[in-house]
Amino acid sequence: MKKENLNYPPGDAGIWIIIYIELITFGLFFLGYIYSRRLDVELFNSSQLALNQTAGFINTIILITSSFFVIKAVKAIQTYDTKQASIIATRWLNGAIGLGSIFLVIKMSEFIAKYGEGINLSTNKFFMFYFLLTMFHFLHVLLGMIILFNIKEKTKIQGYNKNDLKGMQTGASYWHMVDLLWIVLFPLIYIIR
Amino acid sequence: MIIFDKYTKAYLLLITLTIFAYTLGKFELMNKTFFIILIITTFIKGSMVIDYFMELKEVSLKYRSIPMIWLFVILSGITLGYYF
Repeated sequence: MKKENLNYPPGDAGIWIIIYIELITFGLFFLGYIYSRRLDVELFNSSQLALNQTAGFINTIILITSSFFVIKAVKAIQTYDTKQASIIATRWLNGAIGLGSIFLVIKMSEFIAKYGEGINLSTNKFFMFYFLLTMFHFLHVLLGMIILFNIKEKTKIQGYNKNDLKGMQTGASYWHMVDLLWIVLFPLIYIIR
Repeated sequence: MIIFDKYTKAYLLLITLTIFAYTLGKFELMNKTFFIILIITTFIKGSMVIDYFMELKEVSLKYRSIPMIWLFVILSGITLGYYF
């Protein structure tokens, strides 16, 4: 392993600037949610009861598993010779993309269910934060899947190897950020009351 | 005997802690003690993702410390906002 790999995060430096900016942006949303909740605890607690905790839980498991599949794909490229690595990594990436799709379907069904109940962005402050945070996150998952799909296509044609996988690590880091955000979002929105 | 690599171990811990969090919510077990435990376990989960999935454990501390501090600040904010 090259010395610089021990000092710098995996992937392109630019993606880490984006990741840090995204974390700060979501962080401000989270803090805004916490502050608003303090002003009307009853409203937030009662509104939270309308959410489907099981859907949130399943989606958490899905994103964590998807993130795990992505790191396994990266490790496969780093471990095996190019041809074998491409086959193994493609399988892991297909799994990750498939799980990402299920996440989007479940989240979309949650949105549709809420709209069906007459609940939307303007219902109250809790649901304003709920829709803003989860829809913003939803778009990040969507973008992450597009990135993963492109990585998968390149992996399939043996576009990455032990010495050249920076592009793959760049996309993988973005996907893990999406997972990290949901790990905080899940207890904040669905669990803690 | 099955020997798991560090990524699989991190994954299994993440799944276990997620089931724990869901159980607290589903069965309405949330009190001050469980709240603190949930915050700590969420910090552990975030750390697992940062260290093992994002692979920041071995990199220079300045890069790893940014998401770690972010996680600490957000979870501290939740703790202060909910109980103080």
